[in-house]
Amino acid sequence: MRRQLLTLAILGALVLALVSGLQTGAQPRKIVIYSAIEEKVTTEIVKAFRARTGIESEVLSLAAAGTLATRIRAEKAKPRADVFMGGSADIHAPLAKEGLLLKYVPRTLAEAKIDKQFYDPDHYWHGWYLGALGILVNRERFEREIAPKGVSMPKTWDDLLNPVYKGHFAMPSPVTTGGGYIFVATQVFRLGEDRAFAWLKQLAANASQFTPTAPATVTLIARGEAIVAMMWAHEGFVARLMGFPVEVILPPDTGFEIGSASIIKGGPNPEGAKAFVDFLLTPLPQGINAAYGMRYPVRPDAASPVGAPPFASIKFVKYDRNWAIENRDRLIRRWQAEIGR
Amino acid sequence: MLEWAGTRRGRVLLYDPGLALAFVLVAGLLVVFVVLPTLRVISYPALADYLAVPAQPRWIQAIRNSLAMMVLSTTTATAVGFLFAFATTRGLPGARLFATIAMLPLFAPPFMVAFSYILMFGRNGLITRELLGLNVNIFGWPGLWLVQTVAFFPYAALIIGGVLEAINPSMEYAARDLGAREWDVYRTLVIPLARPGITAAALLVAISVLADFGNAVLIAGNFPLLATEAWFLIEGWADLKGASIAVSLLLIPTVGLFLLERKWVRQRVYTVVTGRGTRVSRASVPAFLKWPVVLACSLVSLLVLTVYVGVFVGSLVTTWGYNWRLTLDHWLLAKDWLGPLLNSLKVGVASAVLTTVIAVTAAFLTACYRLYGSRFLDFTAVVPAALPGVFVGVGFLLTFSRPPLELVGTAWALILALTFWHMPMGYQAALAGLAQIERAIQEAAANLGASGLRTFVDIYLPLLRHAVIASFTTSFMRAVTNLSIAVFLVTPGNMVGTFAILMAINNGNWGTAAALTVALLVVSLVILTIGQTLLGRGLRPLPSG
Repeated sequence: MRRQLLTLAILGALVLALVSGLQTGAQPRKIVIYSAIEEKVTTEIVKAFRARTGIESEVLSLAAAGTLATRIRAEKAKPRADVFMGGSADIHAPLAKEGLLLKYVPRTLAEAKIDKQFYDPDHYWHGWYLGALGILVNRERFEREIAPKGVSMPKTWDDLLNPVYKGHFAMPSPVTTGGGYIFVATQVFRLGEDRAFAWLKQLAANASQFTPTAPATVTLIARGEAIVAMMWAHEGFVARLMGFPVEVILPPDTGFEIGSASIIKGGPNPEGAKAFVDFLLTPLPQGINAAYGMRYPVRPDAASPVGAPPFASIKFVKYDRNWAIENRDRLIRRWQAEIGR
Repeated sequence: MLEWAGTRRGRVLLYDPGLALAFVLVAGLLVVFVVLPTLRVISYPALADYLAVPAQPRWIQAIRNSLAMMVLSTTTATAVGFLFAFATTRGLPGARLFATIAMLPLFAPPFMVAFSYILMFGRNGLITRELLGLNVNIFGWPGLWLVQTVAFFPYAALIIGGVLEAINPSMEYAARDLGAREWDVYRTLVIPLARPGITAAALLVAISVLADFGNAVLIAGNFPLLATEAWFLIEGWADLKGASIAVSLLLIPTVGLFLLERKWVRQRVYTVVTGRGTRVSRASVPAFLKWPVVLACSLVSLLVLTVYVGVFVGSLVTTWGYNWRLTLDHWLLAKDWLGPLLNSLKVGVASAVLTTVIAVTAAFLTACYRLYGSRFLDFTAVVPAALPGVFVGVGFLLTFSRPPLELVGTAWALILALTFWHMPMGYQAALAGLAQIERAIQEAAANLGASGLRTFVDIYLPLLRHAVIASFTTSFMRAVTNLSIAVFLVTPGNMVGTFAILMAINNGNWGTAAALTVALLVVSLVILTIGQTLLGRGLRPLPSG
């Protein structure tokens, strides 16, 4: 009996030792950040923040804004994080409505000279980068399979309807992704609702996949599983930087997202969180995001992504964000009924 | 069933305080960490939200797809599992190799199988394009069918193997002596006797297919399934309510299947296993059966090996499909993630130890004593098998992020979630082990004055050595390779390896993801070997006659 009990005791001690070795909570002076943009960009920004203010940060970086928002919601009784950075305003706005965010006017807002449409007039969230929707093409497969048929690279949304792309088009599903929905709304603003749905139906005839997550579409294009796709342009530029044969086209009448940041109400370190949001609206972090993530800064004086067309040269559709958010459920239901995927 | 006649219900607890304490402790833990989170998720949406389900076409489709995949993948995985079990138990050529290969998919981290299939069989796949010059689309249900078959046949092979092993060879000789032809021996004897095992295997595979998340999320494309739909709702729209409904819907078929398994199959399986052993060696398998089976198993084995080779090669080439230059860059980048890899091991060891201790104790209590609440203990110990990982993650997040038990934010949330999610595996293994131990031993110990706990620690634990090691092994490997729960419970300070792999994929660094996967696998196997050796030594039976 003694040996067995000894084994059990050793096992117990082992478990305790292992777990106490893991960190069990955040230190008070640190801030905790939930970041919905990729880890590399987040790390660089956090490093710059520490250099500027001396405040340390703990980061949970998950390029999945919805999952992070879910955590914030579930942690409502006792918030774990101070800052939620990245992810479209469409994800931040509902959190504000549910009373989960802290209202704060960043000290740096006035000097940043940001266009009014890029932040919440009630100051629950502030945009700090912009992403535009674009057309992604796998150049290698295009040249091998499409170009010989006398078709040139797509330049407009309507070019995607060409039957030559049948079975070769991919985009994120509007039912499960923010990017897919912004695309549907963009077409509604471009063509009017009924014509937009007729147009989308034609597009769906070419589609091989409506991917359930946005990164999955990039993967399809980068790996050549699809030839053309509708996707965030910056994701295409990043794939190109990584050595994949990806072309990015910014067609006229496109839509965009406002990458936002907000402070979580009741978080452990509100003062640190405010300092961080102040910092995000300065040129440095926006330049970092442009350099590594190829996303556009909201500040006119911050560095733009190299190799991407200037933001001012992109022709956007007249996008009514409030209307798009309010009509989301209805449009998604209509999409499911008429396009069915 | 396994109740011990002769002890009055509950009486034993009165004069054995140690046993009573163990019972209360185990039951209490199961209530807090299994029952509470489950109820919390089911009750999160309002009744009206559930009633609105039939109005959502995508959901109806998801329900239909989930059931269809269940039928397809279960059929093929069970069939392949049977072939492997047959090959390994009948000593066909390559039996050893097949037995090892049938274990490999059990240890594949999420993404890995699907990820490797894209690299191998996609439009730019090494095999489909570079070797065969094909241009195929593997996304959608046919690809998922293939991947799930490969991922789940090992479970079937394990269970069916146990049953085939137990079929008494002398019965086969008897059949031959009575004039049965070779084919008839298999048709009328072996397969009917294996039927309970096949049914048990099919039910277990069906539950796993329904709850499968990792493969579906990469391969299914736009083919809605309930398990993935839950995560898409959370991910795309932060819709916790919708996700709760999706996972709750999933509970209906899984719990149904599970109850079926308990009621219908389990007893029969074990009556075969506990049969008296025999020393007659088996007759050799006729050639007309032997070679087709070996061929089929070799093909599947090749497929399984491809997955591992694919990931390994993927970690060493610059850009898969476009630039085949060899490089160590991915490994250099992976070096930065050493911390999360170590955390994975800590979490894995801690949860595997807890799972094993609690599961074996619970099995001992339900199998060896007739107690009030035994049925309840039995049910709660196995019900987590029917819960998808996303369900458990969300359940813990909702239940333990506030006082009185505030675990979210510490490493304990993840450890305990994994501990109780893997409970059924340890519990079932221990039950099976207990069923093979003669009751008389327990009676003898009691007559000699040993308390219940002493009987357990001194006699049963050493005899259950294999069950303990099996439980530790599966719960450790599954904890280390888990992602569906980790996504919700991981904290900035306690990042784990699979989460780092997901981040690498999100960064577009597929090579780094592959390197991390290989590293995670290698380190886990090392720890696993050490753990198995220690457990084996510590539980060595006393030297006696």
